[in-house]
Amino acid sequence: MEVAREAAHEAAAPPARKSASGFRPLARSIRKSPSLYLLALPGVVFLIIFGYFPLYGLLIAFKDFRVTDGILGSPWVGLKNFEFFFTSDQMFPLIRNTVLLNALFISFTTVFAVGIAMFLNEVRLKVFKRISQSVIFFPYFVSWVVVGMMVAAFFGGDKPTVNEWLKALGLREVNWFYVPDIWPWMLTMIKVWHGAGYSSIIYLAAITAIPDELYEAARIDGASRWAMMRRITLPSLYPTISILTLLAVGKIFNGDFGMIYAIVGDDSIIYPTTDVIDTYVFRSMRYLNDFGMSSAVGLFQSVIGFLFVFGVNAVVRRVSKESALF
Amino acid sequence: MKLTLSDRLFSVFVHLFVSIFALFCLLPFMLMISGSITEENDLIANGYTLIPKHISWEAYQVTFQSNKLLHSYSLSIFITVVGTAAGLTISAMLANSIANKRNVLRHPMAFFVSFLMLFNGGLIPFYLLVSKWLNLYDTVWALIVPYLVQPFLVFLMISFFRNLPDELEEAALVDGAGEFRIFFQIVLPVAKPILATVALFLALSYWNDWLLGLLFAGDERLYPLQLILRRMISNLTAASDLVPSGISIQPPSMGIRMATTVVTIGPIIFLYPLLQRYFVKGITVGAIKG
Repeated sequence: MEVAREAAHEAAAPPARKSASGFRPLARSIRKSPSLYLLALPGVVFLIIFGYFPLYGLLIAFKDFRVTDGILGSPWVGLKNFEFFFTSDQMFPLIRNTVLLNALFISFTTVFAVGIAMFLNEVRLKVFKRISQSVIFFPYFVSWVVVGMMVAAFFGGDKPTVNEWLKALGLREVNWFYVPDIWPWMLTMIKVWHGAGYSSIIYLAAITAIPDELYEAARIDGASRWAMMRRITLPSLYPTISILTLLAVGKIFNGDFGMIYAIVGDDSIIYPTTDVIDTYVFRSMRYLNDFGMSSAVGLFQSVIGFLFVFGVNAVVRRVSKESALF
Repeated sequence: MKLTLSDRLFSVFVHLFVSIFALFCLLPFMLMISGSITEENDLIANGYTLIPKHISWEAYQVTFQSNKLLHSYSLSIFITVVGTAAGLTISAMLANSIANKRNVLRHPMAFFVSFLMLFNGGLIPFYLLVSKWLNLYDTVWALIVPYLVQPFLVFLMISFFRNLPDELEEAALVDGAGEFRIFFQIVLPVAKPILATVALFLALSYWNDWLLGLLFAGDERLYPLQLILRRMISNLTAASDLVPSGISIQPPSMGIRMATTVVTIGPIIFLYPLLQRYFVKGITVGAIKG
């Protein structure tokens, strides 16, 4: 009955309207099954509070923020916080470190993840494959704090384990936490240890989608497994690699705070090569109580990151339409 | 099948590479476990070694008697269980609502969620929100609430719910069931796989988190396990502080650090063989969608 009435109503209305537009269909839908929208309510409220409301806090970037006065009570200083940061000698190294470290992380993790996926695919023995895959994936589950402890054990303290090994081999010891230049490579190695397994799963899934006939045909033509891997497996992964890489590049201005702060902590000696925007913002807030400036830096990061993601998405859209985020 | 020399060499190379990388992944864990059962004097003299020179269980004996550790452990478990249960429920309800074709607002809602994956206020507003505006500083809720709804996980569930056959819901509607009943009694039981995956991701993020504790814990009472561990990284006295005085005159600090680390990842090691495939499933599904 209701359906027929609605249909008649729709037919009678002068230009044909899409059912999703306009306020009346919404009100009608809510009245008919309110619980449908009620189900979403807690989640929506949560996201408003934790996702959208904090955007109001971005105003702090333009104020000389005093916690006691609150946002509205604190005086406006326009772009002074930004000026302070951009003219300081901190800005360039921070941005450089953030982008450079992320670039290293992305490239090395991808290379290893793809390599592991392709090689695991070549392993015939099921047991060996399963065990090594489990082992390689496991580091992902360990928190960065635990990783920080491991790094401290291997490279820090009075008798770092790696130094003992070097001594045993007759090589010179290294004062690891005092040499800034090696840390981009150390962090990259740690990142690969932690994340290559995770990414390799995605690539493995893509590999299983490659039709067997391609390999059969290649074998008939006398191709070696090595050639098959280079000419069939790897090229088939190019789309996946591009998408994942581009998505990661979109976030290149967001430093991995959890990882870097857990490993580097307050060891200021290696800040020149490891300090990223996120750790700097954290320290400014925590130790300097400079909410205004750290907000400005945070806002700068969010805006640049946002524009970047849009730009990257446009590129992704050209490469393969469905894979773009929007 | 005749294997050429090239194929054989290749096979050797492949297995070698995989083995070496797997060993590389395993190495830190071996060091940790070994360090936790090594005699403290050996640790002081030689640092942590892959194979203990002399075995001593003192570190574990002392660590297990630590009230602080026990308290912190229970706190972490509480946070993880409550957070995962609440977060899963709220996120699943939201995801189901967005996936439902009868929801007129589903497209704006989806955008509403996805926008947050790209842009957020940053650390400062987050800190102020939780500690000042919501007044949650130094409460256990500050360690639970912020992670309840994670856009990535919501989308994982949305794509799952979208793939459910419409007949499921339609049959229930014909029978006159209300939305809540449909969700709890029909959709959820069918959604067990994705719920398991999301629950695991949530639980992992709670168990491993230390940022919330770092920002919002006023004192040791509210230190989750990870934070206790963190203080021990560069600070050896933090390790001996863990032990109630009277148990040991000179606690084996270096051993305690490793023992605490082992204990922190203990549950993960135990549950890993059982739960690994759910994570793998979740990642492949999420990746294919993306």
